[in-house]
Amino acid sequence: MINTEGMVAETATKIYTDLCDREVPHKAEAGEYPQALWDALAENGLPLAWVSEANGGFGADHDEVFGAIWASAQAASPVPFAETLIANWMLDRAGLAPADGSASFALSGHTPSADIPFGMHADKIVLFDEAHHEISLFDNRVAVRSPEEALSPDGMTQFVFSGHVAEQSAKTDLSRRAFEALILTVRAVQMAAAMESALNLSIDYVTQREQFGRPLSKFQAIQQQLAVAASECAAATMAAKQAASAIARHSDDPEQAWHEAVIAKVQIGHSVEAVTVPFHQVHGAMGYTQEYDLHHYTRRLWAWRDALGNEFHWSKRLGEALAVTSPDQIWKGVTTGQWIAS
Amino acid sequence: MQRFNFPVVQPDPALEELRGELQAFLKEEREAGNFRPEPECWMASADPEFSKKMGKRGWIGLTWSSQYGGHDKSALERYIVTEETLRSGAPVGAHWIADRQHAPMLLAHGTEEQKLDILPRIAAGECYFAIGLSEPGAGSDLANVKTKAEKVAEGWKINGQKIWSSGAHISHYMVALLRTSPADGRNRHIGLSQIMIDLSLPGVTIKPIVDLSGDAHFNEVYFEDVIVPDDCLLGEEGGGWKQVTGELAMERSGPERFLSSYITLETALYQLSGKMGSDSHARLGKLIASLRTLKGMSWGIANLLSQGVSPETEAALVKDLGNRLENDLTQQVRAMLNDLPTEDWSPDMRRIMNIGVLRSPPNTLRGGTTEVMRGITARQLGLR
Ligand SMILES: Cc1cc2nc3c(=O)[nH]c(=O)nc-3n(C[C@H](O)[C@H](O)[C@H](O)COP(=O)(O)OP(=O)(O)OC[C@H]3O[C@@H](n4cnc5c(N)ncnc54)[C@H](O)[C@@H]3O)c2cc1C
Repeated sequence: MINTEGMVAETATKIYTDLCDREVPHKAEAGEYPQALWDALAENGLPLAWVSEANGGFGADHDEVFGAIWASAQAASPVPFAETLIANWMLDRAGLAPADGSASFALSGHTPSADIPFGMHADKIVLFDEAHHEISLFDNRVAVRSPEEALSPDGMTQFVFSGHVAEQSAKTDLSRRAFEALILTVRAVQMAAAMESALNLSIDYVTQREQFGRPLSKFQAIQQQLAVAASECAAATMAAKQAASAIARHSDDPEQAWHEAVIAKVQIGHSVEAVTVPFHQVHGAMGYTQEYDLHHYTRRLWAWRDALGNEFHWSKRLGEALAVTSPDQIWKGVTTGQWIAS
Repeated sequence: MQRFNFPVVQPDPALEELRGELQAFLKEEREAGNFRPEPECWMASADPEFSKKMGKRGWIGLTWSSQYGGHDKSALERYIVTEETLRSGAPVGAHWIADRQHAPMLLAHGTEEQKLDILPRIAAGECYFAIGLSEPGAGSDLANVKTKAEKVAEGWKINGQKIWSSGAHISHYMVALLRTSPADGRNRHIGLSQIMIDLSLPGVTIKPIVDLSGDAHFNEVYFEDVIVPDDCLLGEEGGGWKQVTGELAMERSGPERFLSSYITLETALYQLSGKMGSDSHARLGKLIASLRTLKGMSWGIANLLSQGVSPETEAALVKDLGNRLENDLTQQVRAMLNDLPTEDWSPDMRRIMNIGVLRSPPNTLRGGTTEVMRGITARQLGLR
């Protein structure tokens, strides 16, 4: 589940409400990093929510952490909150101490470099090296940081691991699929939340803006477009909630949640076009401006859709994994959410 | 805050036991040649013999009490039965509507006599119902129904015509939405009532309508001075509109809104085993992601319904998304089958694919059109 009511979720929501009003993402893009927002999150220990108690965190319930992530995405968080949560969880799963400061993450691919979200801001980088079953912590502050072309306002840098010595490394017994499952689920929660915020903006806009002597919302063509977008948003939220539940159910072995996480990635990734097109359409020219808020959500949606592989990549991977199982097992997965890990 | 109310429900092992029993039965029936699987089986594939077998096993009337021939089971168990029968494309069309819609309606509004008489027959798979909402001049604009029921000494006298009544030609009863008093000015929702009509009564004429594939499973139904007793009025006189809209929420969110064509995919999976290319993998992955998501939404509503909550907008969302998925599924499977020369398709594959294509137009019509579903959603969004 995505529980927006527990302590952790409520604390995060309050901090975002108080310190991340609609001006903050705009200012962050103009170069004014909201340090106060990050400091408040850190002082309340929220970036350690997923770190076990033994390791200095508070081992919060997964559902509530997802609730906190939901709140951060709805506020268009311009600080690496979800990224730090993931990075610290990765460290914890290798028995390493949580990062000092903010962090971002990468999974080893075919190349010794990776695209790092929030690369200009994160203090540390955590890498899962699949070949060596190892988690490593790098200091990002000593790296040569230059922004890459990025869809997201959160920005991205390239990190070339080969030139760097890790500050710490340790073996982990988790598989790549386990890390994929958690990361894809976090992204799914962020995307569903961002979609809903963009839907709310669109509804507000069409009820206020008048043309031909009445609010746009009274035109059936507008109603039908937003109704379709709303159905996609509802499906996205369900997909994210199912993935989040699977992670919570299998917190010891997130690999077991892989199918539900990939399903969320595929479902939501395919919905991005179906929601961003009508959202921008009903906003007319206003939605295309820097000044208005819509792009804080739509640009992130476009970026998250591509992160760690786009919806086509993951549809294929899911299909490949399913094609080798029996139709009975596929049916079992569809109806009960219990997938045989293959 | 999340805008819509779709609870996530954790898997329940007890339900899986029931699923296993159904799977074994359906497999046996199919292998014995007792049915040929079809997409849209709950609408277009009716076999009273098969319905009686389902009744004998206790798989109809799961939710009502044994006093009325039911089985004191939950709506969730009923959901599993519907899911498994849809998956196998079994001929469940005869009893489907009575079990889903009219039995609960009778339980809520019927007399004790009616309950004791009709419910056990429904549960036995021997008594079928038709839905009498649409008329030639009232499709999406349902409040425009003109068929009239007049109060007379013996009960109600009915005159008019219904159309598109699925299964009326094999049904014993129809529950019809009728005008029992004139509309109050512009408020056309007033003065409508639901009346149960025995279709064997004098004055009832049923004419099957042939669909584009040559099958005839829906009908025109004419009423000429048909007299039904007083107690055939279900619920309140004049309360028909409210009752019907409540009923539709349940009707729109069940697994028949997104699993009707699953049999097409499953048949193709057997055909394509080991021969699927990467394009097909991608299509399969996307279809399964959508199916799994819709199952979550529909299951969430089923759980709410079982707690007495009836979320109208959520049901409309499931119907809209589910109907789109059903039509897309047929298209995606057609593309996947490109990996296999047509001459290698089994006769079943051809038949099921053809039926799937021919039966795709009604998905987005019956039970309320896509445009009407989106109107309901737009209202929840505050746009109307
Ligand atoms: C296979 C099948 C089985 C059926 N079974 C039954 C049954 O058992 N009992 C029963 O009572 N009915 C049944 N129906 C009827 C079904 O409910 C109607 O077809 C449906 O409600 C649409 O009405 P219509 O066909 O008159 O189309 P119309 O209402 O004439 O609509 C035609 C088109 O115009 C659009 N439209 C209409 N009004 C608006 C509006 N306000 N805004 C935007 N677009 C609009 C519709 O969405 C549709 O696309 C069945 C239909 C089918 C196809």
